[in-house]
Amino acid sequence: MSLSPDLITQALRRVYDPELGMSVVDLGLIYGVEIDAGRVSISMTLTAQGCPLRAALVEWVRLAVGELPGVEDVRVIVTFEPPWTPDRIVLTPSR
Amino acid sequence: MSPPARPAGGLSPLVPLAYLVCAAFAFVVAALGVAWLGPELAGHYYHPLLLALTHTVTLGWVTLAIMGASYQLIPIVLERPIWSERLARWQLAILAVAVTGMMAHFHLGTWPGLAMAAGLLAVGIALHLVNVGLSLRGFTRWTFTARLVGLGYGGLALTTLFGVALAANRVWPFLPGAFFPTLHAHVQLALLGWVTPMIFAVAARVYPMFFLAAAPRRWHSFLQLWGLAAGVPAVVLGLLGVPGLLVAGAVAVAGAAGAHAAWAFEMARGRKRPGLDWGLRFVLTATAFLAPAAVLGVALAADRLAGPRVALAYVVVTLGGWISLTIVGMMLKIVPFLVWYRAYSPRAGREPVPTLAQISWPRAEGLAYLLLTGGVVLLAATVLSGDAAWIRAAGAVLALGALAFAAALARVLTHLWTSRGTTPDWGVRRPAVLRDV
Repeated sequence: MSLSPDLITQALRRVYDPELGMSVVDLGLIYGVEIDAGRVSISMTLTAQGCPLRAALVEWVRLAVGELPGVEDVRVIVTFEPPWTPDRIVLTPSR
Repeated sequence: MSPPARPAGGLSPLVPLAYLVCAAFAFVVAALGVAWLGPELAGHYYHPLLLALTHTVTLGWVTLAIMGASYQLIPIVLERPIWSERLARWQLAILAVAVTGMMAHFHLGTWPGLAMAAGLLAVGIALHLVNVGLSLRGFTRWTFTARLVGLGYGGLALTTLFGVALAANRVWPFLPGAFFPTLHAHVQLALLGWVTPMIFAVAARVYPMFFLAAAPRRWHSFLQLWGLAAGVPAVVLGLLGVPGLLVAGAVAVAGAAGAHAAWAFEMARGRKRPGLDWGLRFVLTATAFLAPAAVLGVALAADRLAGPRVALAYVVVTLGGWISLTIVGMMLKIVPFLVWYRAYSPRAGREPVPTLAQISWPRAEGLAYLLLTGGVVLLAATVLSGDAAWIRAAGAVLALGALAFAAALARVLTHLWTSRGTTPDWGVRRPAVLRDV
């Protein structure tokens, strides 16, 4: 299976905010996914600038995507432009 | 690369945890004390044992909890790292000795010892203010939250000065004016000048994260901030000798409380979070206690109600209902996070780890909710009636609630040790990062 944004989004659905029990995708934290051959660049935000899980969430995103076959490198960019709001949440049924 | 062993910009999770565990211990001691001191609570509130009880709550429980939470939350809500972890550790040791000393000397009625313990307490509080002050060096983003935190720390400094002066006055009388107005000013500074702004400040930043809802709107923020900034000095000056300010100050503080409650309930109604856990139920219930607290406070200020029974009921709904239930709720959110971060975050992504909900104990939290909220209502009613047996019964309900709360926290804390062994099956195999809920 070739790398695609959908495949990466599926992988990111396994990265959960441990307090909210919701994935970073459902929380609307993922702003964009770019694929250049085996190199993946993910633009994401956090629910607050001082989020204590910042380093951890970035690492978990990197790990979840890095395990996909064909991924050679994962770059995670954290941005607060635009800032996250609760309107970005998209609730999907629990699997 | 592993995630760091501490939340971004913060201390080791063990530092705030140590504060919060000490605070929870004081809460249990205080709740047991209510049951024990039924006959004293049926009398006048100025009694050595009741002073010991009150300070166990205000210093041992509330102040230690807020300071511990501050060391966890300042990097989040003000986005500044804490200046010194070592100072935070020393400060806890000093405060623990000072608070224990104050309890003992109130209990024994030995005023020189009390003055010395109060002096030591002032040193511990000064160290906290120094640590926070140096953490905020060069801080320029004076947001709503930052201004309330500044207001709260100003209130803490003044409360401490009043307290030390009252303790020293017992040994070397020097304070002008009547004693009780100064005592009442000390109490109101603590409740309205120190604790309330800190709760409003933290709530403005963390409730939207917890509820997944909007931050306070402009008028909510304006009324909360300026209601306290104008109202608390007016209440204190009104008590100390400018009586014309007292009612106006009480109304301003009540307006701030109303704006906070309006925002909290609006946010709860419009939240995106699917369900409410017990921590959030606690904070919403605590917010509802602002209504009777404001009514009693304004009525006392306007002399529509008077006497030690009503004053004690006001303290119960404010300190027991609004403040304590809020802190219980926040601790049920903060403690599992700190424990989880310490125990599981380095392993997340590499093996199955639980969510915060999975390391919590909802049954004990629910039991604590029923007993503590019921106990506060019962205690407020029984101190109004002045019946010692019923006060003791209310105290027993509160004590059971505090024990259930402590049990819920203790079970979470066990993960600090049990997580080191073999990995339990949290439901999902690699490469899942966390279990689906």
